[in-house]
Amino acid sequence: MRRRWTLGRIVTTAVLVVAVVVFVFPLYWLIATSLKTKAELYAVVPTLVPQNPTLAPYGDVLVDRGFSTLLLNSIIADLGATAAAIAIAFAICYPITRLPVSRSVRAFVLNWSLSLRFLPPIAVVIPYFTIVRAIGLYNQLPGLIIVYTIFNLPLAIWMLRGFLDEIPLEIEEAALVDGATRWTAFRTVLLPLSRTGILAAAIIVFAFDWAEFLFAFILTATPQSMTFPVGVQGLVTQFEIIWNDMAAGGVIAIALPLLLMIAARRYVMTGLTFGVIREK
Amino acid sequence: MTSPIAVPELTATTVAPRGRIHWSDRSRQERLGYRLLLPTLGTVVVVATIPFLLAVVQALTSASGAFVGLDNFTNALGNAALYESVRQTAIYAAVVLPTEILLGLGLALLVHRTVRSPAIRAAIYVAAMIPIFIPQIAVGVVFRLVFAPDYGILNVLLGDTGRNQILWLSSPPLAMLSVATVDVWQWTPFVYLVLFAGLQTVPSESVEAAQVDGASPWRQFVHIELPYIRPLLLLALFFRIADVLRVFDHVYVLTGGGPGTTTQFLSLYLYRVGFRFSDLSQASALAVVVMVAMTIFYTLISRFLPVETR
Repeated sequence: MRRRWTLGRIVTTAVLVVAVVVFVFPLYWLIATSLKTKAELYAVVPTLVPQNPTLAPYGDVLVDRGFSTLLLNSIIADLGATAAAIAIAFAICYPITRLPVSRSVRAFVLNWSLSLRFLPPIAVVIPYFTIVRAIGLYNQLPGLIIVYTIFNLPLAIWMLRGFLDEIPLEIEEAALVDGATRWTAFRTVLLPLSRTGILAAAIIVFAFDWAEFLFAFILTATPQSMTFPVGVQGLVTQFEIIWNDMAAGGVIAIALPLLLMIAARRYVMTGLTFGVIREK
Repeated sequence: MTSPIAVPELTATTVAPRGRIHWSDRSRQERLGYRLLLPTLGTVVVVATIPFLLAVVQALTSASGAFVGLDNFTNALGNAALYESVRQTAIYAAVVLPTEILLGLGLALLVHRTVRSPAIRAAIYVAAMIPIFIPQIAVGVVFRLVFAPDYGILNVLLGDTGRNQILWLSSPPLAMLSVATVDVWQWTPFVYLVLFAGLQTVPSESVEAAQVDGASPWRQFVHIELPYIRPLLLLALFFRIADVLRVFDHVYVLTGGGPGTTTQFLSLYLYRVGFRFSDLSQASALAVVVMVAMTIFYTLISRFLPVETR
């Protein structure tokens, strides 16, 4: 019995080590490359560890290539779209979770928004391209904000609905019985209680907006409104790739969502599975 | 006992109890509900539906705006390149989906059965979330650095940097394999996390009873664990199918659909028709077909999705 357990333990350890290496090594190579000097890129056999680590590639990308503008665009568009998605999702989720609207309306909202999860963005962006140009929002951040808002609304609705369902109706009811108006009960009871849920949903929606590429790629044309992933795409697809600059762009693109993910780790799986997986 | 990063014990529910209270002034509350809900919901549904209607209009007209009936649909559906892209997408799905499900399931079972330390479990939980949160474009960057000739780490590790090195991204069967590998790299952890959470819901009494009866690990899986995680397997599978059918970003930056059209999946094909050949009418016809097909697909599978839409 004991022997088998030991063997099992060895196998487990080996499998996990292999998995970790397979998953981590490409990321190590990304970071290592982003710290190399230009000269080191042309070594006959690429060096596994940067010989003269430097942050210069980050400066090249953000300053010389002007990616700081794209970074700012991304942050503005994503914050705007996140705020809008959360506000709209809350306006939809409040009635369907706290007020006696019919079950079929509730089912419609949830079903309809879930169905959007299965819609390929490319099919949507073709008509959006025409609309956005027709109303003068092509190559404008507000155009992106509208599209992002709609696209991540299902996620926001499902997350907020989950959080609001968990707050007992009785708590608000008690305030109402005490003579508070519904608005007061909402403001002083429900809103403070749902703050964590709102923040978690906002973080995850923001991370998804941040990662979005196709819409920005098609609906923007110049650095005036391009987002960061579109810029990074340019570094990967150009004829002669400058490895360290490209890697630095990649590291920046990864860093922000990763920090957010760690902050919101309790709610990530709930969000990604539309509430099927929850905290015990 | 304490892990460096506190991580919740996850569980899965498919049914949540939901009480309805009886308001004395129910109808007034109900009216308030609709007054709050309908304007917002109406606007959102309209804004989200306009693209579909516009795609239909655009698909029925030429670039100059003249009504052309179903010509664009005939062109779009008569193009052999469409079926080629569907075929490539199917191959991609056939490689990627079983691999991710089996690997994810295998890892979930392995960790569930053998790793007891909460700290290690927590570390694996956080580590598994990392790939999910890497933007697809950055995943493209990462794997450029893996697969590229000369600087790519894969050929470096294979000791293969000379003239005849393997071109992972630009020789036909390998390009498909490479972009599929990237998908597996990024999404196996998602499948793992979903199924691992599912395994947590299996009552330990049933497992212990089976072990007392001398059930083999395989029988224990098939008869006890599988029934519990079946809904989550479906969930992971459906979400992965949805993502595989829309795959674009990492393929676009890694191969651009090439070499030739060997990795030109459905989304890349629509992109090429609409924005490379600037044939928005034909692209709209394709978009309408895709939207209708996906709606039918969603309708078919939504009954099996273990998601609570009540």
